[in-house]
Amino acid sequence: MKALAQRLEEVVQSSPHWAEIRYHRRTSQTVQVQKGLVKQAKSALTSGVGIRTLVNGTWGFASTSESSPASVEKALKQAIACAQSISEMKQAKVKALPETKMARGEFTLPGYDKLSKMALSDKLSVVREAEEKTRKRSSSIHSASCAYNEMFEDKIVVTTDGACAVSQLARNEFRLSAFAEKAGDRAVAHESVGKTGTWECLFEPRSWDNLSEQAAKLAVDLAGAGRVQGGLATLILSPGMVGLLSHEAIGHTVEADFVLSGSVAAGKIGTMVASPLITLLDGGQVPGAPNAGGDLLVDDEGIPTQNTEIIREGKLVSYLHNRESAALFGVEPTGSARAWLYYDEPLIRMRNTYIQPGKQSLADIIASTKEGYLVDGPVGGQADATGEFMFGAQRVSRIKDGKIVEFLKGATISGQAFEVLSTVDAVSQEFELDLGSGHCGKGQPAKVDAGGPYIRCRATIGGIQE
Amino acid sequence: MNTFLAPETGTLEQAAELLLASAKKAGATHAEVCGTFSEQTRITLEKQDFHLASSNDGFQLGLRVMCGAKAGFASANSTAKDDLQTLAKQAVEIALFSPENALLAIGPNQGENEAKSFFPESDLHRFPLQKQKAWAQELMTCAVSAPRFRLNEGSVEVSSSLFLVASSLGTHKVEQEHQAGWSLMGMGVDGDNITSFDYFSEMARHSRDVGQRLSATTKAFCEDVVRGLKTGPGKSYKGFVFFSPRAVIDIFMSGLSTHLNGRSVVENTGKWKLTDREQKVLDAAVSLKDLPHALDRSGACRFDREGATTANRSLVDKGVLKSFVVDQYAANALKIPSTGNSVGGPAGLPSAGAHCLVLEGGKEPLKKLQEDIFSRQNECLWVNRFSGQVDSVTGDFSGVAKGAEWWVKGERAYYVKETLISGNIFECLGSALAHLSKETQVLHASWEAPTLISGAVSVTTK
Repeated sequence: MKALAQRLEEVVQSSPHWAEIRYHRRTSQTVQVQKGLVKQAKSALTSGVGIRTLVNGTWGFASTSESSPASVEKALKQAIACAQSISEMKQAKVKALPETKMARGEFTLPGYDKLSKMALSDKLSVVREAEEKTRKRSSSIHSASCAYNEMFEDKIVVTTDGACAVSQLARNEFRLSAFAEKAGDRAVAHESVGKTGTWECLFEPRSWDNLSEQAAKLAVDLAGAGRVQGGLATLILSPGMVGLLSHEAIGHTVEADFVLSGSVAAGKIGTMVASPLITLLDGGQVPGAPNAGGDLLVDDEGIPTQNTEIIREGKLVSYLHNRESAALFGVEPTGSARAWLYYDEPLIRMRNTYIQPGKQSLADIIASTKEGYLVDGPVGGQADATGEFMFGAQRVSRIKDGKIVEFLKGATISGQAFEVLSTVDAVSQEFELDLGSGHCGKGQPAKVDAGGPYIRCRATIGGIQE
Repeated sequence: MNTFLAPETGTLEQAAELLLASAKKAGATHAEVCGTFSEQTRITLEKQDFHLASSNDGFQLGLRVMCGAKAGFASANSTAKDDLQTLAKQAVEIALFSPENALLAIGPNQGENEAKSFFPESDLHRFPLQKQKAWAQELMTCAVSAPRFRLNEGSVEVSSSLFLVASSLGTHKVEQEHQAGWSLMGMGVDGDNITSFDYFSEMARHSRDVGQRLSATTKAFCEDVVRGLKTGPGKSYKGFVFFSPRAVIDIFMSGLSTHLNGRSVVENTGKWKLTDREQKVLDAAVSLKDLPHALDRSGACRFDREGATTANRSLVDKGVLKSFVVDQYAANALKIPSTGNSVGGPAGLPSAGAHCLVLEGGKEPLKKLQEDIFSRQNECLWVNRFSGQVDSVTGDFSGVAKGAEWWVKGERAYYVKETLISGNIFECLGSALAHLSKETQVLHASWEAPTLISGAVSVTTK
C-alpha cells in the first residue's frame, strides 16, 4: 500500500490542475442460511482508482479498474477532459478549495487483521447454528434465516494539495429473521447488528444467541397481536428509533448539499430547532461507543473526520460539509465526503449520528407517562428535505398510567423532525448505537450507524381507524 | 449481433472461457459465469447548475461453481489471467467447505445466441459528447425556468453495456444494450414553504427518442412538484382512497411481486402455494403481467441472469393466479421449469424477480370513476407516492402518503402533509377493490399501472 501511495502521489503531483486520486480495494464475503440450507456463500473483490479534477472551477471525474501508473495517468487525462467539456456551461464556478489540514499517514481502525484471519467456514458454522436455533425455539416458527456479511476496505487518497492518507478498516453485519404463524396470523421479526472491527466486537454486548432468542420471541409475539389506533400520541422512542430520527430526519437536512438546495435547515444556524434537552452530533468515532458501524478516521477527500456537533442544547450550530461546501460557507470541512466504490464521486454523507444521553432512567420515563406508546425495533425509514419523516417500527407497546399494558403489532410513525424534537420532554441515561447493520442511500450506499438514548416526544403514529 | 463493442465482447468471452476452465481444473463439477462490461458518460446537474462530467468503464465477472452438490461463488472486476485463476480457486474453496444444497444446481444448457439482436438498432454507442451536452442543457433549461422549482440533482447519461452468461453445460449467451437516460430530483420552494423531494427518470434506446420526450417529461415533472406548495389540513378516516399509478407500483405491485416470487413459495414466506395456481386469489378486475420483451422498458431482456430464455407471461389473469416468477433455484425446489425470471448481476448470486410488471387498466376512464366515488364520499385522500413499509409476509402496508392531495366533492382542494395510510394489499386488491382506471402510466421507463381506488384504507392525520 505504501509503495502504491507513493506512485499515486507522483501521478497526482504531475497534474496541471487540482486533482484527487483515490485507490479503493474492497473484498467482501457473505454467507446466508435459510431453513437449514446454505443459500449463499460468496466472496467479491472490487478494486480500482477514481480521479476527480477541478479545472476552471468545474469538476471532472474518471475511473479505471487498473492501478498501474499508465492507467491512472490515462484516467487523469480523461477526468481533466471531462471537466473541460462542461466548463463553459457551468455558471457558478467552484471556488478554490479551502486550505486545511490534510490527512497524511496511515489510518487503520482495529480489527482488520484479526477478522481477515478468521476462516469463512467458521463464520458459516455460527450462521448455520444461529439459524437452526432460531427455527427451533418455538413450534410457531416455520422458517428462519441468518446472514453474515463482512467488508475489508483498503484506501489511498492523494491530492495535489497535500493529502496522502492510507487507510484500512473492516466492517461486519449479522442478521436474523424469524417467521411465525399462530392461528392463521403470520408475522416476521428481524434482529441485526453491524460493527467496525472484529468478529468478537460484533456480538458485544448482545451475543448471537441473544439476538436469536429475541427474533424468535418477537415473531411469536407479533403473530396474533393487536393493532395501534392511529393518531397524534406521546411516544417513547428507543435508541434505534432515535437513531433513525437523528439520521434520516435531521442528518440529511443538515448535509450542506441539501441545505444549498433549500432543505428545511437552510438559514437556521443559530436558531432553536429542538428542545434544550437535545444535543445531536455526527462523528467519525463516538466517545464511549467503540467499533460503531460508521466509524471512519479519514474521509474520501483526505480530510480527518471530526465529531461534529450539529444541535447543541436545541440550537442548530453546524451543517455537515465537504471541501466545496465548507469553502462556500466559510467554515472548516467536517470530514464528511464519502464514496461507496472507486467509481463513485465523494458526496456529503453521515458517519455515526446520535443524540447525547440525558439524566433520567427509562423506567422513570415510562412511570411518568400517563398514556402513550413505547416504540422500538427500527425497520427502515425515510425523510425528505422538509424534515418530514416516516419510520417503521417492529415493536409497539401501549403505556397507560405509567405501565406497559399491551403489546401491539408494528406501526409507522411520522412527523416533522424539528417540530417533534421540540416536543421532547425526557431523555434517558441509557444510550446505544443500534443502526450499525444499516446502509444509507443517497445515490450511492454508505455504511453508517446511529442511535442515542430513549426520548419522549409527540408524533403521529399510523394505525387503523374505526 | 451488431459489431459495436466487438473487442470488449471478445475480452469478456475469453475471460468466461478461462474461468470455466480454471474452475474445472480447481475441482468444480460444473460452473457458470455471468459477466458484464459497461461504459458510460454522464453529465450531472446540481443546485441549479452544471456540476460534473464523468466517464467510467469496466468489466465485472461472477463465477458460480458446483462441486457435487456443494456451491461456491466469487466475483471480481478484473479480466487479468492471474486474477481469474485466483477467483476460480476461491469459488471452489468456498464450495468445498459449504454443506450440500442440490437446489443450487446450475440450470441446463440454455443454448447459444440468436443471430438477430434483441434490441432495436441504436445510434447511442460512443455518442457525440456535444449532443449529450445539448440534452443536459435542455434538462437544465426546463428545470431552472420552471417557476418555484428548485433542482437538487439531475443527470443525462449515455451508456453501452454487455451481458454474458456461459456455463460448463453449454450455455453461451451475450447481449448488448445502448441507452440514454435522464433524471431529475428537486422540490418546490416558495419562501419558507417547501414541498418534499420528488424524483423521476426516463430512458430511450435511440437518440431520436430523447429530445422532445426529455423536454416534455421534465416540464411535466416540474409542474407536478410545484403544485404541492398549496397545502391544507386532512382528516383521519377509513374509507375510499385514490392511489396514483406510482403509488400503485410502490405499494401494491412491489408487494405482490414478493408473493409471486417462486422463492417465497419455496420458503413458505408468501401468501400463496403452488396449488393456488388456477385459483381465484384477487378481485376479477386484477390482471398482472411480466413483459420482459417490452423493448421500450428498462427491464427488457431476451435471457435472464442464468441464461434462460425469457417470455412475456401472465401472472394473474382476471384475479386467477396463473404463474409465479421462477428462477433455477425455485425451479429445482418446486420441480417446475424456470420461467426465465432469474435476476441480478455478476457481483452476486442470482435470485428470482419480475422483469417488467404491468397491472392492466380497468374498463372505465378515471373521470367516470371519480364521479362514482364522490357520489358516495364527499372528501377523499389521493396518494401520489408512498414512503413506508409493505410487510413481506402479511401484505400489511403502513407509511406516509407523499405528495398527497385532498379532494373535496370531486375537485382537488390542496395537498396534505404528515398523512399516514395503512391497509392490506390483499384486501385492497380483493374484496375492497373499488376500481382500476382505464388509463395507465409507465413509471421510470419500467413498470406500468393504472390509478387504483380502494375502500379499506385507514388515513391518519395529526
